[in-house]
Amino acid sequence: MSFDIGHEFNKATFFVNRDKLRAYADASGDQNPIHQDEDFAKSVGLPNVIAHGMYTMALAGEAVRSWIGDDKSIIEFSTRFTKPVVVPENQEVPIEFTGKIVEVNHGEIAVEVSALCEGIKVLGQTRVRAWV
Amino acid sequence: MSLHGPELVGRRFSSSHRNHITAEALAAFARAIGARADLAPPTFLITFSVRAAEEFLPSLGFDWSRVVHGEQRFKHYRNLKVEDVLSSVSEIESYKSMAGNEFVTVRTDFAESESGDLVSSTWSTLVFRGAPA
Repeated sequence: MSFDIGHEFNKATFFVNRDKLRAYADASGDQNPIHQDEDFAKSVGLPNVIAHGMYTMALAGEAVRSWIGDDKSIIEFSTRFTKPVVVPENQEVPIEFTGKIVEVNHGEIAVEVSALCEGIKVLGQTRVRAWV
Repeated sequence: MSLHGPELVGRRFSSSHRNHITAEALAAFARAIGARADLAPPTFLITFSVRAAEEFLPSLGFDWSRVVHGEQRFKHYRNLKVEDVLSSVSEIESYKSMAGNEFVTVRTDFAESESGDLVSSTWSTLVFRGAPA
């Protein structure tokens, strides 16, 4: 494919549930109970269990890989965690990613990514630089 | 807990962990995020950098139970590979306190243990929420 500045990628939607958060906790080593234990999460003032910010960031990375080719090298990846992704029990919570090419330079591109969960921006200033 | 000050900037820490990228750990991480398992996902090193910060910051008096992840950045100088063994050095790059909350940015440099060549750097901005008044 050709990578042109201003190109907008098709929306990629990922569904998050409690089982996936447990699998991510085990794989990443981040066992903070706010990501698994509803009573604990509520006791510290959260509306419910929330996804690891890093899990949402990892999904944003997979969205970008699905757009540009998962064999491409990502050389820089940054984000802010603006709002939590709330994951109630027995629910599949959708996160929708959209992306746009904002720079093209000698085989290197920059993609700006937005992440919405039920209409709320959960990541901010998300940017990926990759060799294409 | 009293707040820290800008004198923290520049404090360094070497992790005693051997950051070994095993095929098994990579596959578990890839599976958890729905990725292919033969290429390291771009956020994989968080498994090492968070552990380094978790060792480092509480030793300076930060309360890990009040931490929130504010920002994250990765820079990769080459692709990560299965069987890479990486040493890591962490440094506090910035510090500020605002309304009782403390914002700490830790940079961790990962280098090949053997050659010392830099492989990746990660920046984590961690927010330590002040205790309720």
